[in-house]
This record gives sequence, structure tokens and C-alpha cells, in this order.
Amino acid sequence: MSVDEKKKVILNLENISQSYVIKDKVKDAVENVSFDVYDNEFLVILGPGHCGKTVLMNIIAGLEKPVGGRVVLDGEQINGSDSRIGMVFQSLNLMPWRTVMANVEFGLEISGMPKKQRREVAQKYIDLVGLHGFENSYPHELSGGMKQRVGIARAYTSNPEILLMDEPFGQLDAQTRYAMEEEVLRIWEKEKRTVIFVTNNIEEAIYLADRIVLLSNCPAQVKQIYDLKDLPRPRETTSPEFLRIRTEISDNTDLAL
Amino acid sequence: MEENQENVKVRVEHLTKYFGDLHVLDDVSFNIKKGEFVCVVGPTGCGKTTFLNLLTKIYQPTKGELYIDGEPADPKKHSLAVVFQEPSSMPWLTVEKNLRFGLEIKKLPKDEIDRRVENMLDLLGLQEFRDRYPHQLSVSTAQRIIIGRAFALQPDLLLMDEPYGQMDIKLRFYLEDEVIRLWKETGTTVVFITHNIEEAVYLAERVLILTNKPAKIKEEVKIDLPRPRNVADPEFIKLRNHITDQIKWW
Amino acid sequence: MSKENNVVLSPAELKEKRRKVIYAILPVISVAMLLGLWLLASHFSTGAFGFPSPADVWDRTVRLFQKPVKKLTLIGHVMVSLKRIGIALLFDWTFGIAFGVLIGWCGKAKAFLNPMFNAFRAVPPLAWIPLVTIWFGTGEFPKILIVIFGSLACIVVNVQAGMSSVDKNYLDVGTIFNASPAQRLFKIAIPSALDAIFAGVRTSTSAAWMVVLAAEMLGADAGVGFLITRGMDSLDMPLVLTGMIAIGIVGSLLAIITQYAERLICPWTRRKKSF
Repeated sequence: MSVDEKKKVILNLENISQSYVIKDKVKDAVENVSFDVYDNEFLVILGPGHCGKTVLMNIIAGLEKPVGGRVVLDGEQINGSDSRIGMVFQSLNLMPWRTVMANVEFGLEISGMPKKQRREVAQKYIDLVGLHGFENSYPHELSGGMKQRVGIARAYTSNPEILLMDEPFGQLDAQTRYAMEEEVLRIWEKEKRTVIFVTNNIEEAIYLADRIVLLSNCPAQVKQIYDLKDLPRPRETTSPEFLRIRTEISDNTDLAL
Repeated sequence: MEENQENVKVRVEHLTKYFGDLHVLDDVSFNIKKGEFVCVVGPTGCGKTTFLNLLTKIYQPTKGELYIDGEPADPKKHSLAVVFQEPSSMPWLTVEKNLRFGLEIKKLPKDEIDRRVENMLDLLGLQEFRDRYPHQLSVSTAQRIIIGRAFALQPDLLLMDEPYGQMDIKLRFYLEDEVIRLWKETGTTVVFITHNIEEAVYLAERVLILTNKPAKIKEEVKIDLPRPRNVADPEFIKLRNHITDQIKWW
Repeated sequence: MSKENNVVLSPAELKEKRRKVIYAILPVISVAMLLGLWLLASHFSTGAFGFPSPADVWDRTVRLFQKPVKKLTLIGHVMVSLKRIGIALLFDWTFGIAFGVLIGWCGKAKAFLNPMFNAFRAVPPLAWIPLVTIWFGTGEFPKILIVIFGSLACIVVNVQAGMSSVDKNYLDVGTIFNASPAQRLFKIAIPSALDAIFAGVRTSTSAAWMVVLAAEMLGADAGVGFLITRGMDSLDMPLVLTGMIAIGIVGSLLAIITQYAERLICPWTRRKKSF
């Protein structure tokens, strides 16, 4: 593969804006956001506070419609959800009445794949995320990190071109978070996809990203895009270079008190 | 134990806890000096929460005892304040009344309460928010109120259980500087529990490292760096990496 | 190892142990006091119209097995009542659940049907007895109809509440995987409302059991309600109490059975208890 091919744009956001009416007042969540996403890159959307990031994700995923702008996938505008886009949700979107296996199978079941075949596919991804042996457990029997693994496996089953991850580790403690960040990179190296990962954690962003899109606090606008492709992996969170980038981005981030 | 006994504020001796057959805490002993800032770190699931609940006397230890000023800790006699990860202000009280709440329960004289509340509102820079209700505040501001309330009590021991767990780094640095300011201003004895090692090295005078379950004290690390600390300082990073190596499981 | 550690009890553990013993003894004392009060009441109110003693009631219960009333023993009468609520509940659980799902899931159906349903629900079931008796007489069908009137609302209300509050997070997962409307209903909404549906099953069962007794007390020749009326008519006070106790026991058994069924069918609601 040549360098040019790697740079192929797979998704672009064009002037996305989103506002809501809350108690008779218009509140802008996202304002005029545009950026490109390259094929097979790990893109992190970093932003402080609670404004705009999840909204942006939901718009790309087709869960809500923006008031302005459009999302273009492979050169075509998309409306609503698209099977080429998969999603790992923020928190507990596992269905409590389904076992790990049944949760991972969910998308395949919806698409009407025969039982035997979907078992095989689901098993492959359950093994990939390291949950072998937990197929028949229910979500409430799993730890926070394991639940997120189920969510990742479920998103992979439909074989999406783009994988959206919406603050998947927001509820985990700092150490489990480090473990899951390593894990997500391992999975991504094995099953390369375009990943768009949302977080409010600068350290997590620098550890994971090929590129970081830094958003401002409410309403979310693109502040700057950082290219970290030259920072070799695995990245050392206490290396001078890492800390330098962290300070640089941190100084440029809005304080969302 | 060689420390000057008069300076010791909190003494924990042979603290042990079983839940049925599950051995969570194993013979933990340590001292905390008056006005010291101690951070407790340990691997995920090592029993930090049980440890905290024993210090607050929510759980009774299977063995061992906690002494404050040389006497067995007694919620009736000593004041223990706790700050949890989720803000826990009273939703029906304004910011000011939330700050007054604990002081009024302790039946302090009114002018003393006024003095402390005004002082705390100034320290936090939250004068303009005094008549707001908690639901009108952001999560971080609500948490600052709770922390201010705890310091205003001037407790014998202030326990904090990962109060900044889910906040972004920029915000966390800001709040960590604030907690140091409050601590210096009031001279409170603080035990701060966290999963985040950088946070522990940034805040503490001394870090207690717990082992996996059943938790014991693996090591005590003195942090002698001048404040405000620089997280990119090689000494800082050396300490951070050393503590990380002691508990790393990921 | 840990056994050894448990031998020496700290003051804290002794306190905990004492607390556990107290909490185990209190319910026993409560039951003993109830029996004591019963004995006391029967002791002070003697004669045929007085309060029968526990021994009298026990004798009457045993006699009911040896010498049936209207050809049926106590078990027989209980079965007759159970059959009535069984048929009524079968209707509740099919029509009631379907109706609850409809108005809980479909906003327009709710707007149209809810006023009707609320009007029906506002009338207490026993108020239907005169109309039902005039139209249908005193056979089996009108009794079952009264039971349905008395228990249908419970299940509809619960199912409707469960269906109208399906967590949006689960529906979002459906959207991501392009689920069809039918799949959203049957694979997401209904399973997520199962615990609410089961709450409806439980409350409708206990409501049906209460209403069937009322229906039987107004003209029946079998059933537990009939036993009580029969006792009253023939001034057989022990028989009245036998009936009352049987009602209590069967009622609690039904509650236990439905609870057990829920745990069996919805294993994920057995949340683990952590400290």
C-alpha cells in the first residue's frame, strides 16, 4: 500500500451544526464542525465538559439529524444509520436479559443470519476481545472493563468500515482504563478499521490517536487538529515527548468548570 | 513508631477485615501526623473502598482499631468528614446553606459559622453562586462545594475517595491545586484515596501503596518535592514510575 | 485457615452477632403474640357466636376433610376457586398483555384507547356485580367475568408503564444495527419490559384471588368464598375461620409461585448482591 492510499478519505463532516430548544431557549451544542477522517486511522475527538462530543457521534451514527451540514461516507451523503458504521456506546447499553453471547450476536440476529453461522462469527470476536469462557454470563455478572469488551465485540460483528467509540472508558477507574486502552489498540492492530474515538481525557487521547481533533467547550467547534502519527507505539505516558504534547494540548483546552 | 508521638493525629493498628471467608484487609498499621496529606493507592479491586469504610466507621473491623488523638475513634466524639466520588450535596439547600449544614449540626456559635462560611466562599471563589441550588451547578462545581463543606468542618480527619475520578486532566489539575490551597489554609489531616498515580504524587506528602487482596501496606513513599509540583520534572516522573511499578497489573 | 481466624471474636463481631439474633427472634415473637391474642380473644368470648379457639378451628379443618361440605373437601373448594381465577388470568395475561403493549408502545393507540380504559378502571369491580348478575345469572361465567374486571387493570397498567419507558440506549443499539420495527418491538422493547410485565402478573394474580372470594360470597355453591358464607349462614364460626386461614395460605402460596416463576424466566433480574 502506498502512502497516498493510506491517506484516502473515507468520511467527511461538512459544516455540522446542532442546536436544541431547552426551556424555550435555543442552546447550541455543535457549531459548524468540519473535518475529514482517513481510511484505517485511529481518530480521537477530544473535548472538555459535556458539550457536543456525544452529539457529534450520534450524528455520524445516524441516531440524530443535525440542523445543519452533512455527513459524507465514501463520497455519498448518509441519512440515518448505515450498516458500514458500527458503534461502541458510552456505558451500559448491553441488554441485561441477554447473555454475553446473545448480546454479541444481536446485530447478526437482526440481519437474519442463521444461528450456526452467527455463533461462529460472535465466537470469533468474543475470543478476540478476550472473553472466552464468559459466553453464558449475564452483563450484571461482569466487571466494568469486561462489559466494555462485550460492547466492542458486538460492534465488530457487523464488520463495519468505521467504528465509533463514544467515551467507552468514561466510567472505569484510571488503572482499568490503561488496561482497556492497551486492549483496544491490540484489537485495532489485529482487525484494522477506521476508529473514531471520543474522550475528555487528554492522556487517553495521546496514548491512542493517530490524529486528535480538539473541540472547544460549548458549543463544540474544532479548535485544532494534532497529528501524532510519528509518535511511535506503544507510547510511554511518562516520556518527555508525551508529557510535552500533553501540556501543549492541555494549554489549548478550555477549562470546563 | 519512632515519630514523635505527640504529633500523631491518627493511629491505625492491625486493621483487619473479613467478609465471611473473604479476607479483604490484612493487618494494616500506620500513623498520620497532624496536618499531613496522605494518599492511598493500590491496584483495582484491592479493597480500597473497604479500607475507607473502616476508617469512617461505616464497617466494623474484624480486628484492629483506629485511634484519633490517642483515643479509639468515636463518631460521637471525633469529627470525620468524607468526600465521595459522586457529589452528595443536599438538593433542597442552596450553596450557602449546604456549607452551613454540617456546622449547624455541630452546634457551633452563629458568628463562628458565618465566619467559616464566608471564608470558604472566598477561598473557593464561589460568592456569586451562594444562593444557587446544586442542580443549577456543573458536576465539578457541586463537587467543590462538598469539598469546601468538608474542610469548613475542620474535621479531625478528612477522607476523600477519588473525588476527581471522572474529570478531564485540565479540570483535575485546577481542582487539585484548589484542594492543596484549602489544605494549607486549614491545616486539616487528609487521607486521599485514588487510582490515579500521577494525582497521588502531585498531592501527597506521603503515599501508602496497598497490595492486592487481602490488602497490606506494601510500601510507604515520602514525596519531598516542592510545591507547586511540576508533573514533567524528572524527580516527579521517577516517583510516579516507581509507584506504578509496585501496583501495575495491566 | 479462615475458620481459625473466626474463633476469636472482636467486640465488633459480637455486636454484629447479637444484632442478627435479635432480628431472627423478633418475627417469631410477633407470630407468638398473634396466637396469644387469638387464645385470649377466644377465652373471653365464649358461646356459639364467640371467637372460636385455635383447637376448635383445627378440629373443624380436620372434619372438613372427613365430611365434605357440598360433596367437596377443603382442597376441593380451593381448587374450584383456583380454577375460576385460572381462567380469568389466562384471559388477563393474553388480552391484557397485548393491550398493555399496544397502548404502551403506540402513542396514537394510547391517545385513542386510554380514556376508555381509564373510565373502565375507575369503576370498582364489585360495582359490576348487579349488572353482570342480571345479564348472566349466577353461573360460572359471570363469576369469571367479575374476576377479570377486578384484575385486568393491574396487568394493563404495569405492562403499559414498562413498554412506554424502554431505555433509549437499547433502542439506539437497534437503530445502529438497522432493526425493523417488529424487531425493535420483539427483540428489544418487550424483553426490556419483562420485569414490569411480571410485576403485572404478580399484582393481577393477587387481585384476582381477592375478587374471586367476593364474587363467591354472593351466591355460589362451591369455592372458598362459599365456605365462609356457609359458615356464616349456619353460625359455624370455626368454619369461617378455616376458610379465612385457607385463603391466607393460598394467597401467599400464589405470591411465592409467581415470584419463583419470575426468577426462573428472567434470570438477569437476580442481581448479584455486592458489599
